[in-house]
Amino acid sequence: MEQELLRLKQEAEEALAQVAGADQLEAFRVRFLGRKGGVLTGVLRQLGKVAAEDRPRLGQLANDIKQEIETRFEEKKAQLTVAGADTDSGRIDYSLPGRYLPFGKLHPVTQVMEEICSIFEGLGFAVAEGPDVETDYYNFEALNIPKHHPARDMHDTFYVTDSILLRTHTSPMQARIMERQEPPLRYVVPGKVYRCDSDMTHTPMFHQVEGLLVDRRVSFADLKGVLTSFTHKIFERELALRFRPSYFPFTEPSAEVDVACVICGGSGCRVCKRTGWLEILGSGLIDPEVLKMVGYDPDVYSGFAFGLGVERIAMLKYGIDDIRLYYENDLRFLSQF
Amino acid sequence: MKFTLSWLNQFIATEGLTAARIADNLTMLGLEVDSVTPLFAELEPIMTARVAAVDKHPDADKLTVCAVDTGTEVIQVVCGAPNVRPGMVTAIALPGVKLPDGTKIKKSKVRGVVSAGMLCSARELGLSNDHQGLIELDGQLAAGLPLVDALGLRDTVIEVDLTPNRPDCASVRGIAREVGSFVTGTLKPLVAAVTPLTGRNIGYEVIIEEPDLCPRYTARKLTNVTIGPSPLWMQQRLTAVGMRPINNIVDITNYVMLECGQPMHAFDFTTLRGQKIVVRQPRTGETSLTTLDGSPRQLDPEMLLICDAERPVAVAGVMGGLETEITGATTTILLESACFNPVSIRRTARKLGIPSESSYRFERGVDPNLADSALERAVALVVELAGAQADPDGIDVYPGNKPPLCLRLRVERVCSLLGTELSRDQIARYLKSIEFQITSLDETTLEVEVPSFRVDIEREIDLVEEVARLVGYNAIPTSQPSIRMDSPGRDPLRSLRQQVARIMTAQGFFEAINYSFVAETHLAHCRLTQDDHRRQVTRLLNPLSEEQGIMRSLLLPGLLENVRRNINFQRPDIRLFEMGKIFLQKQEGMLPEERMHLCAVISGHRHPEAEPLYFAAQEADFFDIKGLVTNLLLALRITGSGGATLFGFESRQVQPYCDPDCAAVICDDEKVIGSLGAVHPETLKGFGIKQPVYFFELDLKALLAMERTPPRFAALPKYPSVKRDISLVVPDTVPAGDLLRAIQSQQQKYLESVEIFDVYRGKPIQVGHKSVALSVTYRSATATLDDQSVDKIHDKIVNTLMTEFKARYREGSEA
Repeated sequence: MEQELLRLKQEAEEALAQVAGADQLEAFRVRFLGRKGGVLTGVLRQLGKVAAEDRPRLGQLANDIKQEIETRFEEKKAQLTVAGADTDSGRIDYSLPGRYLPFGKLHPVTQVMEEICSIFEGLGFAVAEGPDVETDYYNFEALNIPKHHPARDMHDTFYVTDSILLRTHTSPMQARIMERQEPPLRYVVPGKVYRCDSDMTHTPMFHQVEGLLVDRRVSFADLKGVLTSFTHKIFERELALRFRPSYFPFTEPSAEVDVACVICGGSGCRVCKRTGWLEILGSGLIDPEVLKMVGYDPDVYSGFAFGLGVERIAMLKYGIDDIRLYYENDLRFLSQF
Repeated sequence: MKFTLSWLNQFIATEGLTAARIADNLTMLGLEVDSVTPLFAELEPIMTARVAAVDKHPDADKLTVCAVDTGTEVIQVVCGAPNVRPGMVTAIALPGVKLPDGTKIKKSKVRGVVSAGMLCSARELGLSNDHQGLIELDGQLAAGLPLVDALGLRDTVIEVDLTPNRPDCASVRGIAREVGSFVTGTLKPLVAAVTPLTGRNIGYEVIIEEPDLCPRYTARKLTNVTIGPSPLWMQQRLTAVGMRPINNIVDITNYVMLECGQPMHAFDFTTLRGQKIVVRQPRTGETSLTTLDGSPRQLDPEMLLICDAERPVAVAGVMGGLETEITGATTTILLESACFNPVSIRRTARKLGIPSESSYRFERGVDPNLADSALERAVALVVELAGAQADPDGIDVYPGNKPPLCLRLRVERVCSLLGTELSRDQIARYLKSIEFQITSLDETTLEVEVPSFRVDIEREIDLVEEVARLVGYNAIPTSQPSIRMDSPGRDPLRSLRQQVARIMTAQGFFEAINYSFVAETHLAHCRLTQDDHRRQVTRLLNPLSEEQGIMRSLLLPGLLENVRRNINFQRPDIRLFEMGKIFLQKQEGMLPEERMHLCAVISGHRHPEAEPLYFAAQEADFFDIKGLVTNLLLALRITGSGGATLFGFESRQVQPYCDPDCAAVICDDEKVIGSLGAVHPETLKGFGIKQPVYFFELDLKALLAMERTPPRFAALPKYPSVKRDISLVVPDTVPAGDLLRAIQSQQQKYLESVEIFDVYRGKPIQVGHKSVALSVTYRSATATLDDQSVDKIHDKIVNTLMTEFKARYREGSEA
């Protein structure tokens, strides 16, 4: 038995050396390795008849030889495939698609949100997150928006109770962060926010990234500098920017930031409502009242804060024209980004 | 807030600046312009024309055939108006022109007579309701002029999106004041002079019982009022800015409000009882007032009312009462020009659900110093336009009269906050341009008197902002903050999420993001029992719809909605995952617990989108989802408490939304960290899905708490391994995994690994049994293993399996 196995091995090796083409290779496979009538298979079948004490040793040998031949066979096959372009059956049709298992993708909102955060992380900002269900105190009062303040009209709020609500912006984290530490500090806060508003241009849930930086002698010029760097990075070009006075109760001076329309470049189109500008974020120096409420001395510390809408930036980056697509999770949509 | 350019020019000359230029400057001052719209654009093609001759229509009594001079030629027009006569100048629409009501003018025959255009009435032009005859224009006008110019109608409406801090700009004159900061001209006053109001011998009195809620109340009586429509110019201005003309008195109160920002109200004086106005809160029993829109309004004790001697006659600053309103029969009116507390008005308007132009202004803050000049302006207009006589005196109760606010402004503060160099004098110049007074100044500090109309300016920082916006934000330099460097700690949960996201997408999953609020019916679809903790949901008081009524306590339902949608849109091969918060309302009235979960679903084919050329279309099954979890945990290097990355997948504590025939939990010894399996058929039905869906879910916070094996180098083996296969037949009830575990638990020397490479049921294997083929690898770290040593161990292992599981070798005849 042992002799037979070794002879077979030699025979197979010699035969394989003679093989010169896919047809011959296949003939070899059938002769030696075929499941039905292959020589090797036949020998293996006979193992049952061998004396019990020899069985493990011979079994091992037979297995090793089989493996050896299989390996040689695969090597030969690989050799022929590379070299065999001019034999009929071995020709590669390079136009056939490659074989792969497709990757999935992150939601475009996540992609953009991560990109925003990583730009700020590069500037030394830390990332923090806060609760989606918030108290009226952090969402409004701590941001200088007392009850019956007209600015509450700017926030269509979902309420859970009189004093608990779904945060209408990521700004509540300003107070939460400042309460627990002293300047200098710089944070960005990504997260979901909610407004009871739903139409072509609004979904009741969307994403914001809040940012804040507090230290001694932080100025409006610094705010402009940081947001300019950010905008150039996120849109990957040096788009023109304008800062426009606005009003948020928790910042003063407050500024909206517009970029030159990414669609028309500023000449005016449907997307920018013919103004040439697109509003992308709200910002301002943190109001002294907000600083006082967390126990900072506004004569010592100053800082700036900003909030930007992630969906809006994703829309501009990718040219998405309907905000509702974001939350339908249609694979035809998700696979585009 | 809308205004027209011509109205603006009444208060300040815009020196030839185009509407677009003005709009741009206002926007950059913080008054964001929403739209710039030319007025009467639709009348642009309408021209003036002179009627040269009028003849009777041969076939119709009421029609005439006119020769009309259009300025370039004389044409024939058939006309039905009674006032047509030779020599009159009127308006013509020539063929091709579209009238404001959509009528398209064509050259046509009217009862057999050719008509080459149409002479128009004011109503046909959308200018008024007058349809008595053709519009009469000044007989001196030439034919062939654009009608818009002939009528002096050329104008532009500008709409400003006002921020809540600028009620002073909720008026044409307020906007004009801002325009004053960028033109050289000066702002014109609202009235030339204000009549002093003494309140003596006027025949009525005003009593303010709540001076905190009503800092000022002025009033004046007018007699011999003739109620009628207001003049066309006033109606046009009101219409242009979005207000409906009603009658001359109401129109005047609205007009003055739009012009200067002071809301006004007119009472029919004869309906006021006891010659008295009392500003007070409701007395006991006063629970209702019918407002002039005819609705009965529920009063509450906090609301501020305007009352006569006996009863409430208006909700202060919000809406007048029906019984004292101006009617066609009114001859004597009392004009009110008052100031009310913003918070009180806001609360009342909210409660009654009647936001009005008046309450909009009051709740943001109206200048109390404006009341008397606005009253003067309104009185003058009533005299002029309603033929009335004004009482020479009126009343002015001003309990809230305060000295002007003076603020200290440090030059250094302005410069350091803005990051720009400004001199004391520059700052003073900017502030003076919008009517702030500089009362004193030294080298470092200015003392600034805040004009009373700027109710938003209360602190030094407010002045800093004024300076910033007048300098222009874009003129402020750009710099980078110098801040101490530090290396902020990373949020471990966020890092975990990022890793999970990478692993999941690498395995072909797309990330979904669903709304945090869901339909409550989801809970029933998921077959949660009444005492399931996930039924303790956070409920919204004011959801947009029932479909979004509760905060989600599970991620799976959202993904199942996505599965249905994708199947409906012919994408039935699905791999989706979501990482997001679930909300558990542990205690009423508190913030809910928010937990970050991960959920993934697979449905349809195993390899969605993969090339059909290479991959057979196989349906995904339980082992796809199990493999996925295993792979995820391996990649995260999360180890169970046993120390090895080995988790149990057991069929216990099955989730109600799991198919009991295909349900398992992921556990670390006794602790369950997640679940997986097939979604329960009833749950699928609830979500309208007709194909199997497999899912797994994990609590990421719990996952984060688990140990992770740090990567540690192990020396690469120097000696070859030896592999032995075993093919056993065991009773069908024995889990194949138990065989693996039994081998591993023996902790035999040299045992390196063991794998299952085949499981087979059916012929020729005896019924109730299955064959399991295992491959065991042995290796020594110190020597090449000889057959003898391996056999010894291997036999031991095989024997154990034989006895423990009633196993036997698979015979050759069973191959």
